[in-house]
Amino acid sequence: MSADDLSLDRRGLLAAGAVGSLLLSAAGAPAAEARTVPLPGTGRDQPFDDGWLFRRGEGTGLEAVAVDDAGWRTLDLPHDWSVEDAPGAPSDTRRGPFDKAAVGGTATGFTIGGEGWYRKHFRLPGLAADARVEIEFDGVSVECDVWLNGKHLGGHLHAYAPFAFDLTPHLVRDGDNVLAVRVRNFGKNSRWYAGSGLYRQVRLHVTPSGTRVTRWGVAGWTSRIANGAAEVQVTTELDDPSTDAVLVTRLRDAGGRVVAEARSPAAAEVRQSLNVRGAHLWSPADPYLHRLESEVQRGGKPVDRLVQDFGIRIVTIDGTRGLTVNGEHVVLRGGCVHHDNGLLGACAFAQADERRIRLLQARGYNAIRSSHNPASRVLRGVCDRLGMLMIDEAFDMWHVSKLPEDYGTHFGTDWEVPLTSMVRSARNSPSVIMWSIGNEIPMRSTAEGVEWEWKLANAVRRIDPTRPATAAINGLLGPLLKASAATARPGKAGQVDNASVIFLDVPGYNYRLEDFERDHAEHPDRIMYGSETFPSEAWDYRELCARAPYVLGEFVWTAMDYLGEAGIAAPSNLSVGGAAIGLTGWPWVVSWCGDVDLIGDQKAPSRYRDVVWGRSKLELAVQRPLPEGKKEYLSTWGWPDELQQWNWDGHDGKPMTVRAYTPGDRVVLLLDGKQVGEKALKHEDKLRAEFTVPYAPGALEAVAYAGGREIARRKLETMGAPARLQVTAERPKIGRTRQDLAYVAIEILDAKGRRVADAERKLIVRIEGPAELAGFGSANPHAVGSFQASEAQSFRGRALAILRAKPGKGSVRVIVQADGLEGASVTLRQA
Amino acid sequence: MDAPTYPPSTAWEAPVKVPQPLSTRDSSLQEFLDDPIAKAIIAEEVQSFEARISNPMLKPHLGNMAPRSMVQFGMFKADALDRVDARLKDYYAKNGVPK
Repeated sequence: MSADDLSLDRRGLLAAGAVGSLLLSAAGAPAAEARTVPLPGTGRDQPFDDGWLFRRGEGTGLEAVAVDDAGWRTLDLPHDWSVEDAPGAPSDTRRGPFDKAAVGGTATGFTIGGEGWYRKHFRLPGLAADARVEIEFDGVSVECDVWLNGKHLGGHLHAYAPFAFDLTPHLVRDGDNVLAVRVRNFGKNSRWYAGSGLYRQVRLHVTPSGTRVTRWGVAGWTSRIANGAAEVQVTTELDDPSTDAVLVTRLRDAGGRVVAEARSPAAAEVRQSLNVRGAHLWSPADPYLHRLESEVQRGGKPVDRLVQDFGIRIVTIDGTRGLTVNGEHVVLRGGCVHHDNGLLGACAFAQADERRIRLLQARGYNAIRSSHNPASRVLRGVCDRLGMLMIDEAFDMWHVSKLPEDYGTHFGTDWEVPLTSMVRSARNSPSVIMWSIGNEIPMRSTAEGVEWEWKLANAVRRIDPTRPATAAINGLLGPLLKASAATARPGKAGQVDNASVIFLDVPGYNYRLEDFERDHAEHPDRIMYGSETFPSEAWDYRELCARAPYVLGEFVWTAMDYLGEAGIAAPSNLSVGGAAIGLTGWPWVVSWCGDVDLIGDQKAPSRYRDVVWGRSKLELAVQRPLPEGKKEYLSTWGWPDELQQWNWDGHDGKPMTVRAYTPGDRVVLLLDGKQVGEKALKHEDKLRAEFTVPYAPGALEAVAYAGGREIARRKLETMGAPARLQVTAERPKIGRTRQDLAYVAIEILDAKGRRVADAERKLIVRIEGPAELAGFGSANPHAVGSFQASEAQSFRGRALAILRAKPGKGSVRVIVQADGLEGASVTLRQA
Repeated sequence: MDAPTYPPSTAWEAPVKVPQPLSTRDSSLQEFLDDPIAKAIIAEEVQSFEARISNPMLKPHLGNMAPRSMVQFGMFKADALDRVDARLKDYYAKNGVPK
């Protein structure tokens, strides 16, 4: 919600809005720094993130009002206790948040789950007698129960789906209220790092008791674009519709001007059509957002108003033109992403997500797949604002679990809850182009699995018939089936199709590069995309999409490194002649398969992708030399251990493997200006040229040519010893709220100011001013220490400090020091 | 330009299976387990077939993995699977593909 909306709220537009502020209770309350947090207004979408109390560990009866929570920690959401240091003294097997004995093992990156309790004391002075108060959690990991004033409101089982409870029946309107949330993360329940706690935003909605817009009850979509005008269809569900109420739906442009409006009598479901002349469309290239207002009026006065972003756009998918946005062909250059924000763990800060999306856009990505769970509201909002297309995904399993305690144990009775909330809460986001009902689902092709496929896809279509249903399919597509007219997708009755995809509009293929064209020959109507692809296949997918429009694009696994699935792309040095099996385990805690590393820097496969996607005409890298008698083993997600450096002490005269990536047809390699290699590139080289060069310190330079003309040069120089630090704020300012972050990059430089690419040093950070350290560490994929302490180890010459604003005035100074190096600092101004 | 829609279908009726010969490349381990003839053949050609796929980690994926895809993990030998395919082909030629 923007400041403008808040000011509109403050103008008293809401009849129910007698709430002047929501205050943390001081009386009877937590001894831990009870702070008064006046909330910014009334109405819907009031942040409820600050001033929570937290206790890590199992407990019983902690929901009771009378519980003495004086010793509990005070914190502000989002919060993830699994990224905090593991309980107990550090040791070789316990470093920072990582513990070799963690039940999740490599899957969750050796992090610790367990149980945690949150409590929040609040008052609602001046709340109107008939006001209704609802609390909405955007996601709690993994399972939770919620109590208000000791009364159980309910529980939630899906770690990523939003949910809400009506607080009204148990609310103390003129006194203290205590909200308690128990969060549990036990057993082997996730194949990746899930995090633990209230890791997404919490909001309060204060609405009138009478006619109001149903939670997630607005569905808008663009039905037609013609001659510069757009038709937008809006269906609005209303609770308790009364005959004297009116629903006014408006579309405002970015400047606040009303561009279309419709008025209708209130009803349980109201369908309206908005005609927008001179419509400014939303697209990845121009992500222009309108504001969709749904206002309930009684007696001519507004009593409830819901405002949300909306993009006018039409996405089409067909086998001859592929995917189009407003008629423009778009090849999906996508990346799969897990939900964690690296050093912040699972914490869903909007600014962290914005940074992630901007990093990916800088590398040419135009789409993400939220694998394998519904995206947070803040991530989706960022995608809407920045024009990043998204596939939102509901499940990693259905009726058959992948792990003993995963969501599959609840799926049979609970599936409709998260699926419904995912689609209803996100269906107005222009960035969402498809709904995925699952990833690599076990037993999906059996009779029971196929029925689930139909149930889920059909449920999605009932809620939102404007987007295709998809799923990510690995392995076999299953036996051939024919569906009846009643059950089949429109126009598909009686057609033979594979069990795994028969009810999907657009099947996603995981790692099936060789199957697209073969399957197209057998099923010419099938439209596909690579829902998971290997980093090494970037060129193959570019070529495939160019010749096969029925392949919409690819989503590489993964766009960014993530916690958990530790070391799936780790290179292993195996004995020559030995078995070609690489096993990783402790101390690996990061996947290492990302194009971008855990703190946001480019890794080797990303540089190749830059060339494939036309963002660079030449990249140069050097393979780290292997020990004598060893060979490099790479998993299918892996990439050779290449670095952009020409510092190889102890290897003088030894052969080095040098790789150049270029769209050119010839590459010349120079060492200190003297030619040491030349290669002509053919189509089948897939933009890669490899050289063997004896190592000698100096300057290694590649020159790429196309048709005899030089198109690019790239140089790697032997650097000097580490001499000093460089500290750079990614943005010059830091905000003032607890949701505001600042990213500060730390680099180790030589005396000439060049980053020393392999430097690992202990760094100490100190912060002065109104901010605190939210994360500090490096991209090191091993467990090396805390993510929250003031000491951290650099990795490949880099580290990152993430600051979180705290109350107070003044600038923020970040000072970083390392033994033997000249320290550095940077100052951020308050926004 | 009109937006496409993806309307729901009206009722669940179990799809009809199209008769299809099993093969170690295009059929899943689960299909082999479910088909008595194919199960008997593969059990004869691959010693301890069921024991080899009894790992709890593999169990959820039996429906998505073909016997042939397990060769790379050393679970089966390609020549044994070649014999399975040959015997299945022979069986279908004599008896037809079961409906």
